[in-house]
Amino acid sequence: MWSNEREIAAGDLVIVWLTREDIQPLIVTPGKELNLRFGHYRHSDLIGIPYGSKVGSRNGRGFVHLLRPTPELWTMSLPHRTQILYLADISFIVSYLNIKSGSQVVEAGTGSGSFSHSVARTIGQDGHLHSYEFHEARANKARDEFDRHGMANIVSVTHRNVCKDGFTVVDKVDSVFLDLPAPWSAVQHAKKALRKDRTTRICCFSPCMEQVLRTVSALNDAGFSDITMYETLLRPHEVNTTPRLPTAGEASARLKGAMARREEKRLLQVAASQRKRAAQKRKRETNGEDGDDQDVDEQAKGESTEAAKKLRVDNDKPEGEDSEETNVRLVPTEGGSPPAVITQPALSSSQPQIPSQIVISKVSHEVRGHTSYLTFATLEPALGTQSNAEALVATIAEPEPPQPPTDQ
Amino acid sequence: MEANNGEASGSSSKGQSRIQDGHNVLFRLPSGELKSMKITGNATISFGKYGSFNSSELVGQPYGLTYEVVDKKLKALPPKAMDELEETEATNELIDDGLIVQPLSTAEIEALKSSGVPASEIIKQQIESHTNFALKTEYSKEKYKKRKEAKYAKKFSTIEPTVFNVCEYWFNKDKGRIHDIRSDTLAQMMNLANIRPGGKYLAVDDASGLIASSILARMDGHGRLLTICDVDSPPAYPILVHMNFDEDMINSTLASLNWATAEEDYVPSTISSLSSVVPPTEPQDGIIRSERQKQRLNKRKNIQGTLAATREELFAGEFDSLIIASDYEPYSILERLAPYLSGSGSIVIHSPSIEVLSDVQAKLRADPQYLGPSITEGWLRRYQVLPGRTHPLMMVTGSGGYILHAIKVFDDPSANSVLAVKQKNKKPKVDNDEDAKMEGSSEPPAGETKAE
Repeated sequence: MWSNEREIAAGDLVIVWLTREDIQPLIVTPGKELNLRFGHYRHSDLIGIPYGSKVGSRNGRGFVHLLRPTPELWTMSLPHRTQILYLADISFIVSYLNIKSGSQVVEAGTGSGSFSHSVARTIGQDGHLHSYEFHEARANKARDEFDRHGMANIVSVTHRNVCKDGFTVVDKVDSVFLDLPAPWSAVQHAKKALRKDRTTRICCFSPCMEQVLRTVSALNDAGFSDITMYETLLRPHEVNTTPRLPTAGEASARLKGAMARREEKRLLQVAASQRKRAAQKRKRETNGEDGDDQDVDEQAKGESTEAAKKLRVDNDKPEGEDSEETNVRLVPTEGGSPPAVITQPALSSSQPQIPSQIVISKVSHEVRGHTSYLTFATLEPALGTQSNAEALVATIAEPEPPQPPTDQ
Repeated sequence: MEANNGEASGSSSKGQSRIQDGHNVLFRLPSGELKSMKITGNATISFGKYGSFNSSELVGQPYGLTYEVVDKKLKALPPKAMDELEETEATNELIDDGLIVQPLSTAEIEALKSSGVPASEIIKQQIESHTNFALKTEYSKEKYKKRKEAKYAKKFSTIEPTVFNVCEYWFNKDKGRIHDIRSDTLAQMMNLANIRPGGKYLAVDDASGLIASSILARMDGHGRLLTICDVDSPPAYPILVHMNFDEDMINSTLASLNWATAEEDYVPSTISSLSSVVPPTEPQDGIIRSERQKQRLNKRKNIQGTLAATREELFAGEFDSLIIASDYEPYSILERLAPYLSGSGSIVIHSPSIEVLSDVQAKLRADPQYLGPSITEGWLRRYQVLPGRTHPLMMVTGSGGYILHAIKVFDDPSANSVLAVKQKNKKPKVDNDEDAKMEGSSEPPAGETKAE
């Protein structure tokens, strides 16, 4: 399954990483070209360079990273034939079903093969995945894909409606995974496929609660026990480096400054209006009639705004530059909200250094809220299979000596 | 592939599915409590009021069965089905909370228990004498029976030591010992680290060996795991004992170094003596005095040889993934161990608190040898699915910790401009690019598409 070599060879499947949201699979085929928004690449130029390399485009339009495929990268880049399973569900199912090296697993349906790749990787050459798909074209596409990915000896795809016709294996597999519209109709068949000499497990993957209820009832009727259901999701956290948060003390200092400036402004206004009044008085005295108060008021207002503008501290030092004192920059904002404060901390050799940048994280704004319900059940080993063990125990059974429990 | 049931899969899988002498077995008691016991010969296992029996009775039994203890003997029970409940008209409106409804006294119940009356009979008698039982709703009756059963039933189940079950056991018992790693989080770590049979992994496991156990279980004897620990003897991974691994399997798959011996320019005294011209491990006069001394020297030589070989293995690099669940600062670990990762290798770091990881992520994002660092937190919700009574469990765990995942890549500072590699063998331009992509790759990528 996929290349284990250090370097990329012709015919390899590589994962081309453009950005976190744009990851594409590519089969390296000499003679072909890869044209992306991050430039042009010749397949033949990719041969012989190590997996994990950053590669620049021929036309200088950017670069890509060439990665070794993993089921996880494949899930992020695969061609969708159907709705697919993602990491959180896949990993939880694999773990609950105890799928590991050498496991025999049944899967229905194959779908786009996201789960199949993960299981194939985990079970390896000693295991086998019996995959069933009722859509013939999808079954053929999946089979071709597994073949191309060197998984033909680990995965076998059977075109079959398992709800009607059941599985092709009997008393054989360690676990069954059902991703079907009506999993309850395949539960009895699944029981036949599971081996009876040890504990085996089943998982049914259904997006709707109504499906879960029918499945639970079918599992119960079929003799499965420990029936339980889980939901699991991944919450991505976004990490950012930002200037440290300003302190309340800094807000207080800014407000004090603002209030002092307002007082200064008021005094200026008072002085201006006194001058106006004196001027009006002189005017009245000379004209002997009332002047236009309105105009004078407007004029005074205009003057004070000018004064306020002059008082605005605007320090445009570049961020991150060390400075001996805290620079407070008031950025005027619209709509009467308080101005945003951007601060640079005081750095002095005598004081412990306060970092100017902090790392913060928060949950991404839009996250997946539901994928499917995972209904699990256990099929206990058949009681008949322990006759040997019981016989063995009977022969070695002796009168038991009184002993304290070996609790640890 | 078409092998028989009994030997269908790998070497140790078969052994793990049946209880053997010397196994550490997890038991589930009627109260729901889990207990870990070691099966040793003919010892008596006692679960107090839930009964006692001879441990040899379990040897050879498949894991996962439920037993009833009858006269100190075990009787395997068939799987228990869930009961459908008939909806009735009953409500609790007529039930007076203060009333004494159980005329059967504690002393009378004790007498019944000591006379050997089975649990089901005691519960039946309690129900019959219960003055208000008929007034209860069917749900409430069911709960009552279940509560009584947890009190009197002489039953228990064995639990298969899967990684999932062992992780759940420790997470509920003492999650601090396993670095707060919950089963779903552990599963994600295994997948993100691309754990597969035949792989070669580097791990720092300060989670009592949970990471090592999980990797070893998945590889089942095929592959290599090298762990770095902070003690100068082989690390004690107490979780390993629950897995009942074959000793040979562990020895052939797992090797360990510590933070000192994992340094390339540190020369352990034992190794320098081994490689020096006159090995001081041999007596100066060249005569080996006794058989015991000979054995001791051989043992020492073996240890030295293993240490040197393990160091060489680490320094040779090309590990598939690096998995970290450590109490040491993760970036300092990365600086030491990332050079030994292969190109495109996976880095998976777990921490119970996000601050530790967000600091690391900020550093990784600025470093071109790491690609796509991302932090995720697992979210898990379990449901009760009894017929007519399906709902999420009332109490759930808060967090299974955070995972930082990144991919190790090789930077090429010149790659922003033109392709320096293989500029010389220019070939004529051949056909167009559309076939170059795989079919369907024009479809939107799996993740949400966002503007760059």
